[in-house]
Amino acid sequence: MIKVQNLRKVFRVHKREPGLTSSIRALFRREWIEKVAVSGSTFSVAEGEIVGLIGANGAGKTTLLKMLSGIIHPTSGEARVLGSIPWKRENSFRTQIALIMGQKAQLWWDLPAADCFLLLREIYRIPEDRYRKNLGRLISMLNIGNEMNVQIRRLSLGERMKMELIAALLHSPRVVFLDEPTIGLDLTTQRAIRDFILEYRAELSPAMLLTSHYMEDIQRLCKRIIILREGSIVYDGSLRRVIEEYAPYKEILVHLRRGIGAVPDAEDLSRLGDVVECSETQVKIRAPRDRIAEAANELLQRFSVADLSIDEPEIGDTIERIMAGRPEEPR
Amino acid sequence: MRRYLRLYLYFLRFSFSRALEYRMDFWFRIVMDTTFYAVELLFFTVLYQHTKLLGGWTLDQVFIFVSGYLVIDAIHMTVFSNNMWWLSIFVNKGDLDYYLVRPVSSLFFLSTRDFAANSFVNLLMAGGILAWSLIRYPGTLGSTNITWFLFLVLNGAFLYYILHMCFIIPVFWTHTSRGMVMAFFAVGKMMERPDQIFRGWLRRVLVTVLPLSVVVSLPARVLFEGPTPEKIVHILGVTACAFLFMAWFWRLALRSYSSASS
Repeated sequence: MIKVQNLRKVFRVHKREPGLTSSIRALFRREWIEKVAVSGSTFSVAEGEIVGLIGANGAGKTTLLKMLSGIIHPTSGEARVLGSIPWKRENSFRTQIALIMGQKAQLWWDLPAADCFLLLREIYRIPEDRYRKNLGRLISMLNIGNEMNVQIRRLSLGERMKMELIAALLHSPRVVFLDEPTIGLDLTTQRAIRDFILEYRAELSPAMLLTSHYMEDIQRLCKRIIILREGSIVYDGSLRRVIEEYAPYKEILVHLRRGIGAVPDAEDLSRLGDVVECSETQVKIRAPRDRIAEAANELLQRFSVADLSIDEPEIGDTIERIMAGRPEEPR
Repeated sequence: MRRYLRLYLYFLRFSFSRALEYRMDFWFRIVMDTTFYAVELLFFTVLYQHTKLLGGWTLDQVFIFVSGYLVIDAIHMTVFSNNMWWLSIFVNKGDLDYYLVRPVSSLFFLSTRDFAANSFVNLLMAGGILAWSLIRYPGTLGSTNITWFLFLVLNGAFLYYILHMCFIIPVFWTHTSRGMVMAFFAVGKMMERPDQIFRGWLRRVLVTVLPLSVVVSLPARVLFEGPTPEKIVHILGVTACAFLFMAWFWRLALRSYSSASS
């Protein structure tokens, strides 16, 4: 449903030194620099897939979404969304996509959501019966009550975001671009929106591209992620594989019974892996995945263990390292 | 076409509900525009105390011409002006995004979405002044002339919008339209004067490439001198060319839209 080939976007930015003198100089002569926002991205997204676009601020996530939704033109490269070139902005293309931006409102501030939805029905030419059905379904999925007739500006941020989602999905788009849909929301609303997105996907199977800085969004919604660094794709694959590939270890945490059995020695335990913590009551070791069982077995045999747990490393930490260009685990 | 009309009815409905929320602004605009109308008519009244004809027109003819301009200005203020104001801000802040993903003409959407309902009373007032100046005209004006004149005044309002828009569109490259808009209002003053007071190349420019005199002066000429095919084709032809230029310019500008970082 989405096919992207060597897509590139370069912005020309005016370079300006601070101070009045440089401002006056810039009136007559300007220095321009080229800022590569997206550098030759290639990927595709299939029907029913939710792909997470992850990257630090300025990595090119939003620029990529804006090119694929037809808002901005690329500098070079190709993209097809539902067979159309997005930046040609054909109506047949625009009726089948939706864009939701957590940081930008699309609804009329002074009007109740119900009025805004009527206008959208006209814009997307949604037949009356389908409109009623879709609206009813979305309202029940998002658990919205009387807020429909309240002016948008009087709604809470969470309620507004729910209305934004309804506004974007009323016309049953086949491709949905979600740019930080949970930003600034409380935990309960974040969870409600994640559940809604999953339910919506299960019902209608649209292709979805999601950007978020919240790992919870990514972990819960995306089986596949694309990591961007300075405009380039540095990882495209399953969320699970990112751990196996970039974090080839697990962490064993052992709670020891005080005063019973041997006292752990960090130097001695370093044979099993990296000793993160070693005290009379607690040992934490980061060991290679293929040696985790052996390490756990040795700890159980040598010490009086009250409790033992084996955990995956924090996925957020792993992704953060990839985004920062340090994929290897620090030793 | 009918779909766009239905959309426009929604815009009207929404704009009226919004405008009536802000009472002070509603009344203040009426006072402000009434003052503007009075100043325009007073200016020519004072001018005609020193001359009998201006560009070949008597005071009564100029009153009709000025009233025609006031109607065009009121239409512009009511239908387009707020949208023009917002457009520069939207481009500057990168807020066009949602307008560009909708399956309707972005130019239509951004030019008409905000109907200045609080200027609507002024539109009625300007219409009243035009009716008054037509009724008090001492000569005979045929019904065909009046019909053509009224139609061409509407065409003039559309042309006014096109010209204003052409001065705003460069904001896609300059990122601020203040200078261009001030330039438009400065040269736009020529719209408020009879075309015959201009001579030579300036007049040729004003009836072709920068058709400020086509907005209201040529329609007034149609009223007084009769609707010849040359005049009608000229006025409508210039408007059509200006519209095609604006549509092309708009598409070109959208290619340069860079939105804003999130």
